[in-house]
Amino acid sequence: MRLWVRLTWVELKLFVREPVSVVFTFAFPLVVLVVLFGVFGDRPSSAFGFARPDDYYLASYMAVVIAAVSLIALPVHVATYRERGVMRRLRASSVPAVTLLSAQVLVSLLLVATGAGVLVAAGLTAYDASLPVDRADAVLGFAIASLSFLAVGFLLGHLARTARAAQAIGMLAFLPMWLLSGAGPPEDLLSDGLQRVAELLPLTYAVRAVREPWLGHGSDTTALAVLTLMLVAAGGLATRRVRQL
Amino acid sequence: MTVIEVDGLHKRYGNVLAVDDVSFRVEAGEIFGILGPNGAGKTTTVECLQGLRRPDAGRLRVLRLDPTTHQHEVRRRIGSQLQDSALPDRLKVWEALDLFSSISRRGPAWRDLLATWDLDGVADRSFASLSGGQRQRLFVALALVNDPEVVFLDELTQGLDPGARRMAWDLIREIRDRGVTVVLVTHYMDEVEALCDRVAVIDHGRVRALGTPRQLVESAHSEVTVTFTCHEDVAWLASTRFVDTVHQTDGTVVVIGPGPVVPLVAAALVERGIVPEDMAVRRASLEDVYLDLIDRPAYSPEDR
Repeated sequence: MRLWVRLTWVELKLFVREPVSVVFTFAFPLVVLVVLFGVFGDRPSSAFGFARPDDYYLASYMAVVIAAVSLIALPVHVATYRERGVMRRLRASSVPAVTLLSAQVLVSLLLVATGAGVLVAAGLTAYDASLPVDRADAVLGFAIASLSFLAVGFLLGHLARTARAAQAIGMLAFLPMWLLSGAGPPEDLLSDGLQRVAELLPLTYAVRAVREPWLGHGSDTTALAVLTLMLVAAGGLATRRVRQL
Repeated sequence: MTVIEVDGLHKRYGNVLAVDDVSFRVEAGEIFGILGPNGAGKTTTVECLQGLRRPDAGRLRVLRLDPTTHQHEVRRRIGSQLQDSALPDRLKVWEALDLFSSISRRGPAWRDLLATWDLDGVADRSFASLSGGQRQRLFVALALVNDPEVVFLDELTQGLDPGARRMAWDLIREIRDRGVTVVLVTHYMDEVEALCDRVAVIDHGRVRALGTPRQLVESAHSEVTVTFTCHEDVAWLASTRFVDTVHQTDGTVVVIGPGPVVPLVAAALVERGIVPEDMAVRRASLEDVYLDLIDRPAYSPEDR
């Protein structure tokens, strides 16, 4: 227990010392959101399914924070540990894999929650955005989206050969998804082709899982099912990979 | 007391037989060297001993425990410094010590380790900012954090400049002086000669030689070469006891024979009133023995 607390604390400090992770988790979503608030304002619009654009984007950016932590911060961190032999060193000292894994999951969840909290606080105080309509369902969507994306992040971190490769793959996954999943231009403004691409992107489902209940449209069960499937598949593969180490 | 027993260790990775029937024993309180070229199977052997790999065959005992079945008990009582194992760049020295000392309830307080290994001044520095020598001291401190009975040091001095290597040697002697048995994996012969009580030379997964560095030198090359300048004819030296051969060209004399040849030749010369000023004795070094033992050319221009 003492070890687990230390490990979690150290993991948290290491994250905060990594500029790329901090920028993408906290600054990037906030800055983009502020720009979108400024561009689209708060008048309900048909492009947003007659929702207010500020609510629409605030809800969508919950998922962007999840993707930033899972695809940009986490894989590089995990891959660095592998590349530098930190995992092996911990194992040689009898630190169980599950202790490290649970500390990393907890820290990641904490960061996702903090990043999301920053956006909500900004949206509510500096702008006139509103809290979710179906709160419990929005929180559920957020939780499932977080877990399934974190599982993908762990898997990526364990599969990438080097930390640099993990960073490149993570960025490459993050940027197009961020633009096309509903966090960039509203889905209805995308061309048919791009809409079809968006349907294939996991982040689209994370966005919907949070946004639909947020705007009062109820839970998006398709999105929740896709995310759960992703969690089971990526989580299973990542666990197998960790066991092989 | 025997601290480590290895009997018939085998380990294969796919088609590569990394360790092929390795056996040796390590006694309490000694510095035991495992010497061999890269890829000889040294690291695999010590990783099996630390319970990090499962051997294919063979009997291993570390502190009388089987490291494969009693991983945790063994790891609790050993210290490790692994090859190519680093720390996160942004981890601070004190954080590393604090973290690793929280793994075990045994061992000194991490603040004491800071002082012991002269890391006080860099406690607040990140791992990335440490010099090579400071990193080695940190690795040694981390290996000793649980007050182990045996420590495994795998290529501790790799990549260090000569000064830092000498300091690392002092660290290793200090560990032994604290009563800890040291298993030192290395490919540097001078390191073995300077530090090890006994050494196993491993190549292609097999033990090529085992003994004290001196025994290895004596068993493989018992001859010594005595060289001096003398313009008188000294062919008569050939009849001195132990002398095998005498060569004399242009005043340079080369006498070859087993160890006792040195005082006997000297005495015989002095008796005849010959006192050479430049008498030099060359014994085979561990390096000669090592290069003889390992099954590959000492240097090939095609090697990178």
